[in-house]
Amino acid sequence: MRPTLHYDAVVVGAGVAGLTAAARLAEGGAKVCVLAKGVGSTHLAAGTVDVLGYDPERVESPAEALPELVAARPDHPYALVGVDAIGAALGWFAERVERGPQPGYRYVGNLDRNQLLPTAVGAARPSALVPETMAAGDLRAAEPVCAVGLRPLREFHASLCAANIARSGVEARAVEVPLDADRPDENALAIARRFEDPAVRRAFADRLASHLREGERVALPAVLGVRDPHAAWSELESRLGRRVFEIPTLPPSVPGIRVFDALRAAVRAAGGRIVMGAEVVGADRDGDRVTALRAHTAGRATTYGARWVVLATGGFASGALTLGSDWVVRERVLGLPVRGVPGAGEPRFGPDYFGDQPLARAGIAVDSAQRAEGLENVLVAGAALPGAEPWREGSGEGISLASGHRAAELVRAEEGLAAAA
Amino acid sequence: MAGLSTDVLVIGGGATGAGVAWDAALRGFHVVLADRLDLCEGTSGRFHGLLHSGGRYVVKDPKAAEECIAENRILREVASDCIEDTGGLFVTTPSDDRDYADRFAEGCRATDVDCEEIDPAEVLREEPRLHPGISRAFHVPDASIDAWKTVWALARGAHERGGARILPYHAAVAIRRTGDRVEGARLRDTRTGEELDVEARVTVNATGAWAGRIADLAGIEGVRVLPGRGIMIAMNHRLVNTVVNRCQMPTDGDILVPIRTVSVMGTTDVHTDDPDDHTVRQEEVDAMLEDGEKLVPGFREARALRVWTGVRPLFQDTKDDVADTRDVTRAHTLLDHTERDGVGGFVTITGGKLTTFRLMAEETVDAVCRQLGEERPCTTATERLPGSEDGEHYVIGERLARRESQLTDDQLICECELITRRKLEEALRRRGTDDLGDFRRVLRLGMGPCQGGFCMYRATGIMHGLDGMSVERANDALLGFLQERWKGVWPILYGDQLRQARLDDWIFQGVLDVGHLRT
Repeated sequence: MRPTLHYDAVVVGAGVAGLTAAARLAEGGAKVCVLAKGVGSTHLAAGTVDVLGYDPERVESPAEALPELVAARPDHPYALVGVDAIGAALGWFAERVERGPQPGYRYVGNLDRNQLLPTAVGAARPSALVPETMAAGDLRAAEPVCAVGLRPLREFHASLCAANIARSGVEARAVEVPLDADRPDENALAIARRFEDPAVRRAFADRLASHLREGERVALPAVLGVRDPHAAWSELESRLGRRVFEIPTLPPSVPGIRVFDALRAAVRAAGGRIVMGAEVVGADRDGDRVTALRAHTAGRATTYGARWVVLATGGFASGALTLGSDWVVRERVLGLPVRGVPGAGEPRFGPDYFGDQPLARAGIAVDSAQRAEGLENVLVAGAALPGAEPWREGSGEGISLASGHRAAELVRAEEGLAAAA
Repeated sequence: MAGLSTDVLVIGGGATGAGVAWDAALRGFHVVLADRLDLCEGTSGRFHGLLHSGGRYVVKDPKAAEECIAENRILREVASDCIEDTGGLFVTTPSDDRDYADRFAEGCRATDVDCEEIDPAEVLREEPRLHPGISRAFHVPDASIDAWKTVWALARGAHERGGARILPYHAAVAIRRTGDRVEGARLRDTRTGEELDVEARVTVNATGAWAGRIADLAGIEGVRVLPGRGIMIAMNHRLVNTVVNRCQMPTDGDILVPIRTVSVMGTTDVHTDDPDDHTVRQEEVDAMLEDGEKLVPGFREARALRVWTGVRPLFQDTKDDVADTRDVTRAHTLLDHTERDGVGGFVTITGGKLTTFRLMAEETVDAVCRQLGEERPCTTATERLPGSEDGEHYVIGERLARRESQLTDDQLICECELITRRKLEEALRRRGTDDLGDFRRVLRLGMGPCQGGFCMYRATGIMHGLDGMSVERANDALLGFLQERWKGVWPILYGDQLRQARLDDWIFQGVLDVGHLRT
């Protein structure tokens, strides 16, 4: 079938890597289309930009640790993209969020020093770049914390969170503030939508104020709105007269959805197209080039002609890589060769849950220019790259941003498109 | 050291031990029931969930078949709440010996196992996932039984009716013996290290595959139990709604049991020297998946949730001159050590199968009565267990119906198994333990497709908030649960379940960063 739609680049996947690559390509003037089966890990993740949190000990400064990591682990995605690309990608991301659909919402931080933000269980988690709504949570600050539980929300337990924060040396306690709810349980997204309403925020602030003590900062589950979190957060800070910060909850992740919204807006602002619900099921090839992708969209097959393809399809979590019951790893979208798979007889997983899990480092085999093995015009970005264990390293968003950003740069260089805007 | 005096001390809190406690309590004895782990954490909690009709044994072991069908009929009445009346099928697949079906039908007639041959086409309408090449099919009264629920009902009943003391996490560290009498045991609380001296008129060794070790402690020789290790695989939904057996001589991987929200494929049989050896071998997993395909084509494409091993206790008496002390035709073995060894006050019960636990308990308590020279008749064949008073069987939609009636007033903590906050809090208070695994067994918390991915953070938070538990204990409970869960997950992690596991990793190791709670 001859393609009816032609693009300079078709990006597969709408996670951080895919949307970043697509936005960068579109910003350079390319005609871009994103095909995605569904949303990516944004909706599951914390909404922070983690570049390098553990190596395997906690990393204080990614800027200092990255050169060593790159030297010691040449198979790591950071070795592929290079340290400079990481900083460039982070800068680009922060700018796009500021220009994005959530007025005034921005990210703070840099590669010099990780911020130590409490998780919903109260562990101190290192992130390089964090939403302004989370920044006051840094556990290096001595200011005592009052963690606030919202009764219908099951995904945040303030007392457990506060108790673990206290273990790390910051004074902390918990209070429970019931929200008026129609149901006994609501998820973070439902509550966030209610926090868009200034009247709800005012009433909540009034109820909370009496519980607070002098000098405390306030920890809330991350529910301060999806469309206008800056307004919700700054209003609470001013009404309560103290610093307020969000703590990421179990999925669905409200700050993660904000990331998705901001990146989607960046793609669209630059003229890119995004087709959700489009599952890529095959490709047309001409020798070592892919000429078109076939996708199932809206109940029918559509062919998207492409000069370049960026695969940002994710790893095992997204289903782009599968391990069959025959113990063979397959790349599902294009049937590409994979790398980093333990050989027959070698362990795929280890018996210690927190120990080494060799299979986790499997990914699509690529060359140094992120090109899928054997294909001239297919680039790979994000969690589909081999060599990393993002959730254990605390490197997920860093890898996705940097490799998505660089994939776009590589295409732009080949195509002679405009340099970075 | 604290002390306790009782009529009967039962060591071993599986179905047999709990059954002995219930039986003895109903006969008016005061009982102490102790297990080194939680109740039903050994063999009884590690089987496939089949309440045998006896069909499996009609050709190979007719005596066992007769016992099974008799007990099946009794348990359906007295333990109705623990049983789902799934019915059972024996089917001849293209991989099976075609001549066996006639021998099977004949065996059922000879052993009184209710059996009706039905049209394979009808079977495929009822169970459309089964192999379409089935040539013969028989209906039998197999069912699935929730062992955890059964054992806890037995223990609760023993406590309510006879004041029995139930002591999980109490290991027998020494058997008290004076001359030719056993007079109880010293127990150690495995969580606190505290010891407890239990003086008993009769001590029952109901430790199954571990029976030799307890007999050794009593200074009794030659009680040798060969553990036979088998693996079982839980698939994430009910591939069938009827217990399905392959119609052939019993062998590995020939049975699929729908139980609660899952179906369990079983099993293998490998001899092992160590009953605590839970190694799952890759070859066994592969063979079991292959066998699954023979019953349900496409079995490999379904999600495999967990794999675990259980050990059958296979008794071997190394004493030569004791043939008369036990009934060698029985699948289970009762050793009255007065007769066998001249040691009074001590009885060992081992072997057998979950389906016949009540009969084993009856025979054991009969022996206890003989030892004490008292005549007290057994009533467990007619006394209903707590929860089974109305004689209604468990039905699969039960929790959903209950949940729908409470939709507006209670939080849902585990979406997979439909466990509400109130139910969890009630169990947390009742059990007074901080091992989340205990709630897994009692409530099925974390047993569903997400394997605790979403409910475990919530459960830990609730547990910590409930009774002022220390944060260190709450953290240990969560980390311990994750590690314990992983043990059953990683040897069979593939396909969509691997995807699920990665999502759980994002949650626990990414968003929550629980790995760094460890100090």
